[in-house]
Amino acid sequence: MYDFDQADDMNIPMYHRVRQGKIHDVLKSLGIVLTYSCHHYLVGNVPRFGDHIAWASSGSQVFANSVIGARSNRDGDHVALAAAIVGAIPEWGLHLEENRKGELLVDVNALHHDAYDPADYKALGWHLGKRIGAGIPVFINLPPHMHIEAIKGLLYTLTVTGAMGLAHLVGITPEAPTIEAAFLGRIPQSPAITVSQKDIDNAYGEISSAKEEKVDLVIFGCPQCSMQEIQDVVRILNGRKVHPGTQFWICTSSWVKLLCERMGLLDMLRSLGVRIVADVGAADGPHLYLREQGVRVIAINSARGSYYAHNLFGMETWFGSTRECVETALSGKWEGKK
Amino acid sequence: MEIKAKPVTSGTAEGEAIVSRMAISFTGGMDPDTGIIREPGHDLEGKSVADKILVFPTGKGSTTGSWQFYAAFKRGHAPRGIINVKAEGVVAVSAIITGIPMVHEPEKNPIELIQSGDFVKIDADKGLIYINDQ
Repeated sequence: MYDFDQADDMNIPMYHRVRQGKIHDVLKSLGIVLTYSCHHYLVGNVPRFGDHIAWASSGSQVFANSVIGARSNRDGDHVALAAAIVGAIPEWGLHLEENRKGELLVDVNALHHDAYDPADYKALGWHLGKRIGAGIPVFINLPPHMHIEAIKGLLYTLTVTGAMGLAHLVGITPEAPTIEAAFLGRIPQSPAITVSQKDIDNAYGEISSAKEEKVDLVIFGCPQCSMQEIQDVVRILNGRKVHPGTQFWICTSSWVKLLCERMGLLDMLRSLGVRIVADVGAADGPHLYLREQGVRVIAINSARGSYYAHNLFGMETWFGSTRECVETALSGKWEGKK
Repeated sequence: MEIKAKPVTSGTAEGEAIVSRMAISFTGGMDPDTGIIREPGHDLEGKSVADKILVFPTGKGSTTGSWQFYAAFKRGHAPRGIINVKAEGVVAVSAIITGIPMVHEPEKNPIELIQSGDFVKIDADKGLIYINDQ
């Protein structure tokens, strides 16, 4: 999609508006709630523990299973559409309790959690997704008060390099108050998978694809940013202006954009050179026309966004923390790990 | 050689196999305009899966993969059939909406037994894979 309110201001090409307009009309005629969000629980779609749901978006699915305890399979998008039409989903996979038991133990004891940023958990998700593939991991020794943005970072990235539908985070996941509960009493004898800081450092190197230091665009919002993430950006910026040669976009839902407007953040950020863009994600459609507009090198605080922007749209990407990316927007060149 | 497997869809397909040891994301991992695998570092990077019998462990990545697969199919660049070690939802529904024969959970590991270039038949009605059995 694109931000309807800013279509002219952002030079959204006509072909893009026409194609998206057709999709919009079809979805509207089907009676679909038009949130245009990849991050369902952030726009009011909040299932209960144990609810059977069909959610498109691999990241939201694993979040629903692992944090809320709702039951969703890792379905292709067409399954959610079909489920909306017929009002039912096939009874298989993670809808059945016996299929939700943990399959392998992951001990993250060796990582410096006290100093960890959500970006570090995204690097962890990248590394483990590759190593685990499609199993159901049971994580132990994550910090019990792990921040929701860090949890999101880990889960949403596990499903980029892997195919997890559910990850039991012991002490966090409702079905995993203990290791025994996560494995439904059958703890495997095989040794736990362990992760070293070197694995995390290597993951950073794999996620970034850029070589050139000059950055054309800093883009956040894969998945779409929460109000809390936007407030983090405001705090880090602290009134400083974005470099004139660099664009800075924050992609979010139209709900959060409305909140930003109400709170005065929309105009304040705009005056510093930051654009809040509604109804798009940092890994999807905008890269099509951004490339036509000459954008080549981007900085992004999402490993997921980095993978798709690079592989789908040919963007050269730098991946780092929110702070590193904000500093990059200010100087116009990459300020994070290389 | 004949291997038993579980059907995911129905129908039969035959052709040249292309085998990967790595999971595949159709979103970002495959170019729907050519059928070429484009994920950097993937063991099929630069190779086309179009018109082949695609053998790989399982899917990964975005649920939009079924859209990308459908796009490749409509443009004539999809594989003829799919063999997975274990199917997950995105690859399974990709095969279902395009009607491509697909089987999974073979009794023996297809990645060890099938090599790229082998002639492979899938009978998804009977749940059978035939290797070099012309």
